[in-house]
Amino acid sequence: MAHAHAVKRYSGFMDWLTTVDHKKIGILYLIAGGFFFLVGGLEAILIRIQLWAPQNDFVGADTYNELITMHGTTMIFLAAMPLLFAFMNAVVPLQIGARDVAFPFVNSLGFWTFFFGGLLLNVSWIVGDVPDAGWTAYAPLAGTTYSNDHGMDYYVLGLQIAGIGTLIGGINFLVTIINMRAPGMTFMRMPLFTWTAFITSALILFAFPALTVGLAALMFDRLFSANFFDPTAGGNAVLWEHIFWIFGHPEVYILILPAFGIISEVISTFSRKRLFGYSSMVFATILIGFLGFMVWAHHMFTTGLGPVANALFSIATMLIAVPTGIKIFNWLFTMWGGSIKFTSANLYAVGFVPTFVMGGVTGVMLASAPADFQYHDTYFVVAHFHYVIVGGLVLGIFAGLHYWWPKMFGRVLNETLGKITFWTFFIGFHLTFFIQHFLGLLGMPRRIWQYLDGIGFNEMNMISTVGALLMGVGTILFLMNVVVTMAKPKNAPADPWEDGRTLEWTIPSPPPEYNFAQTPLVRGYDAYWKEKMEGHKGMTPAEPIGPIHMPSPSILPFFMGVGLFVAGFGFMYAPDWGHIGALKTGHFIGIIGLATTLLCMVLRSMIDDHGFHIEEDEILKDLGGKA
Amino acid sequence: MSAHTHVEGQLPHEPEKATLEGRNKVLGFWLFLGGETVLFGTLFAAYLSLRDQVLEGPTANHLFDLMLVAIATAILLTSSLTSVFAIQAMHQKNVKSLIGWLIVTVVLGASFLGLEIYEFYHYVHEGHGFTTSAFSSSFYTLVGFHGAHVLFGIVWITLLIIQLSRKGLNVVTAPKVYVAGMYWHFIDVVWVFIFTVVYLMGKVV
Amino acid sequence: MASNHGAAEQRTKHHKVEGPKKHVVAFIFSILLTFIAFATVISGEINKDFIYVILMGTAFLQVFVQMAFWMHMKDRGHTFAIIGILFGVVIVFTAVIMAEYWVWW
Repeated sequence: MAHAHAVKRYSGFMDWLTTVDHKKIGILYLIAGGFFFLVGGLEAILIRIQLWAPQNDFVGADTYNELITMHGTTMIFLAAMPLLFAFMNAVVPLQIGARDVAFPFVNSLGFWTFFFGGLLLNVSWIVGDVPDAGWTAYAPLAGTTYSNDHGMDYYVLGLQIAGIGTLIGGINFLVTIINMRAPGMTFMRMPLFTWTAFITSALILFAFPALTVGLAALMFDRLFSANFFDPTAGGNAVLWEHIFWIFGHPEVYILILPAFGIISEVISTFSRKRLFGYSSMVFATILIGFLGFMVWAHHMFTTGLGPVANALFSIATMLIAVPTGIKIFNWLFTMWGGSIKFTSANLYAVGFVPTFVMGGVTGVMLASAPADFQYHDTYFVVAHFHYVIVGGLVLGIFAGLHYWWPKMFGRVLNETLGKITFWTFFIGFHLTFFIQHFLGLLGMPRRIWQYLDGIGFNEMNMISTVGALLMGVGTILFLMNVVVTMAKPKNAPADPWEDGRTLEWTIPSPPPEYNFAQTPLVRGYDAYWKEKMEGHKGMTPAEPIGPIHMPSPSILPFFMGVGLFVAGFGFMYAPDWGHIGALKTGHFIGIIGLATTLLCMVLRSMIDDHGFHIEEDEILKDLGGKA
Repeated sequence: MSAHTHVEGQLPHEPEKATLEGRNKVLGFWLFLGGETVLFGTLFAAYLSLRDQVLEGPTANHLFDLMLVAIATAILLTSSLTSVFAIQAMHQKNVKSLIGWLIVTVVLGASFLGLEIYEFYHYVHEGHGFTTSAFSSSFYTLVGFHGAHVLFGIVWITLLIIQLSRKGLNVVTAPKVYVAGMYWHFIDVVWVFIFTVVYLMGKVV
Repeated sequence: MASNHGAAEQRTKHHKVEGPKKHVVAFIFSILLTFIAFATVISGEINKDFIYVILMGTAFLQVFVQMAFWMHMKDRGHTFAIIGILFGVVIVFTAVIMAEYWVWW
C-alpha cells in the first residue's frame, strides 16, 4: 500500500540527528553516556590525585569543590542514567517483541534534552563558573549569598533540562511495556530486565517531579530573588534537604534496579539455567521500588528530625535489605547446579554479587540512626555508596555491554581483552574503596580538600588513589576493546552466546529497522529457550508478513533541545547582559529559546506524521538474506 | 510499527481508543498526570511548610478575598463540565458541537486566568510580591504554576480547535482532544486543592 | 491482550452513547461540596480542627467525584491510570507529612 507523500529518509549525520528509532537512540545514549563517564572519571582521578598526600596542592580548594560536585553530578545524571537508558532503549522493545517504543518522537526528544542539559552543565568548566555546592546542592550554600557566581545556575538549569528528558523517557517505557507486548507475553512472562526497566520507569515518573520542584524553587531563589531556602527571609534549608532526598533516594534505586535486571539475564544465560524464583524476583523488585520512597530521611538523621522520625526511617531503610537479600539468594541458587560459562559478561555479573552485598551491608550499618551520627559525612558513607553504585551499577553496565554489544553492533567484544579489563577494573575498584571504610571509621570527613599529616590517613589515601588509577587503566582497556572490535566485520549471529533465552536473540544482530518481520507468539517465560527446548529453530509468528508502518524521522527534538539550551543561558546571564529597550537582554534571549521549543511543539501538533511503510518485498529480502 | 487500522467510512465508537497510537497516548497521559500529581504535591508541601513565614508582608487571612476565589472556582468548574460535554459531542460524532463546547471551555478558562491576573496585581499593591517573603514566594509559585498550566491548556485547546476545523474528527485528532480533556479536568482537580488548602485554610485563624 | 482490547470491546458491547445526566449530577455535587467548604470557613463559627476535617473531606470527595465521573476512572480499562494516580497520591501524602511535621526553624 503506497502513500502519496514523499518518504523522508536521511543518511549519515542527518540520520543520527533526526532518528526516532529506539536502536539508534540507544546507541546515542551509549556514546553520550560513555563520554560523560569519561569526564566524570577524569574528575575522579583529579580528586584522588589531590588526596594522595597530606596537604597537597595539586588543585586549589575552590577547584576541589568544583571537582567533587561535577564528579557526582556528571556520574549520576549524565553517565549512569543515560547508560541505563541506552540498554532500556536497545533491549526492552526487543525483549517484548515490539517494533519500537510507544512514543518514538518523544524518545528522541528525551535524548536531546538530556544531551543539551548535560552540555549546559559542562559548559561551566569552559566559562570558569562551575557548580561547587556538592551534587546535593544543599541550601543555603547553594543560594546566591554563599554561591554568588553562575556555577550553581549551571547546575540548576542543566539538571532541570536533562531531567525533562529522563521523565519523558520513563513515561515512554511504562506505556511501551504495558501496551505493546507481543501476544502471549503476560506480565509474568516478561524477562527480568524488562521488569526492572518497568519498575525503574515508574520510579522515574514519581521521583523526578520532586526534583523538578526543588530545582525550580532553587532557580527562583537564585535568579528571581525568591525566598524558599533563605532563612533570613523566612525560608528553610531543611525543606531543600527533604525535597532533594524525596527525589534523591528513589534516584539511587532508579540506578540499581536495571543493573539487577541485567545481572538476572546474564547469570541465567551463562548458567544455562532458568532464573531461580522468578515470582519472588518480580515481587522483590516491586517492593524495593515502593519502599524506596519511604526512606529518604535516612540522609537527614543528623539534622534534628527527632527520635521518632529517625526510628521510623531507620526501620524502613533496614526493611529494604530483605527483598534485596532475596534477589542475592535467587542469583546464587540460579548458578547452583548450572552449567556456568565465565564469559566477560558473566565475570562482571558474578563479581557484582559479593561486591553489591558488601555495599548493602554497610548500608544496613548506616541505616541505624545512632550509629549514623558517627558515620555521617565521613568516608564510610563514600565507601558505601561507591560500593553499591560502582561495584553494583557500573559492574552491571559492563556486564550488559559485553552481553548485548553483539545485538547492538553486530560484533562480539574481544573476550581476552574483556577479561583483562574486568580484573583490572575489579581489583582497582576494591583497592580504591575498601580502604575508604577504614578512613571513614578513623574519622576522615567527606569533601575535604586537604588533610593534615600525621593523623594516620596518608597510606590509605595513597592506596585508594592507586586503585583509582587502576580503574582508569581498566576503562582505557575497555575503550581499546571497543576500537578493536569496531574494526572487525559485522558478522555476529542472531544468538551469539548460543544460549539466548529471550526474544532479542531471535532476530539478527543488529536487527533490521523494524525489529521483527513478524511479531512472535510467546508461549512462556524465557520465550526463546522454551521454543529451543521443544526442538524449534525459532519463534512461531503471531501474524502474517505484511507492510510495516514506521514513524518518520524528525529534526524537531534536536531543535527543542537547542531552544532549552539557549533559554538556560539567557535566564542565567540576565543580570550581566544589559538591556534591549525595557527588557533585559538575557530574558529576551531566554524567551527566544523557550519560544523555539514551543514553536517546535506547535509544529509537531499541527503537522501530522504519516510515517512510511516498509513493504513486503523488502521484508522478504531481509529474511532470505539472513537465515 | 504494526499495520495501521485504517478506518474507511465510519468513525469507530470510541475513536480515541481505536488505534494503538491513541491508546498509547491516553495511557501515557494518565501516567503523566500521576507525575503531575507529585509535582503539585511537592509544591503544596513547600507551601504548607512556609505559609506562616510572612516577615513584614500581609498574611493570608488579610489578603484573600473569598468572593473572588468563589467566582473563579465556579468559572473553572463550569469549564470542566463544558469540556465533558465536548468529549460527549465527540463520541456522538458531532464535530460542530465538539468545537462549540471547546470554545466555551477556552473562554471560561481565559476568564479564570483574567481574574487571577487581576488578583495578583491587587496583591502586589498590597505589599505581597514574589520576593516579599517565603510565604509569598511559595504562594506565587504554587498558584502561578497552576495558572501557567491553565494558560498552556488554553493555547493547546485553541490549537486543537483549529486542527479540528481543518482536518475534522478522525482517529488521529480524537486522541488529542481526549487527552486535552483529561488535562483540563486535572487542572480543575488541582484547583480544588488550591482553593481548599491555600485560600480557605488561609482564612482559618 | 491490551492491543486487542479495543476491538473486542467494540464487537461485544451494545453501543449506547452516554448522555450528559451523570456529568451534570457530578457538576452539581461539586458545586455543593465547594459551597459547603466556603460556607464552613466564612461562617467562622466552627471549631478550627473540625474545619480542617470538613475542608479536606469535601476536597477529597469532590476530587473523587470529578475523577470517577468526568475522567471515567470508574470505568473498565483504567487499571494503570488508577495505580498511577494512587501511587502519586501516596507520595504526596508522605510529602505533606514531611512538610507539616519535619520542617522547623
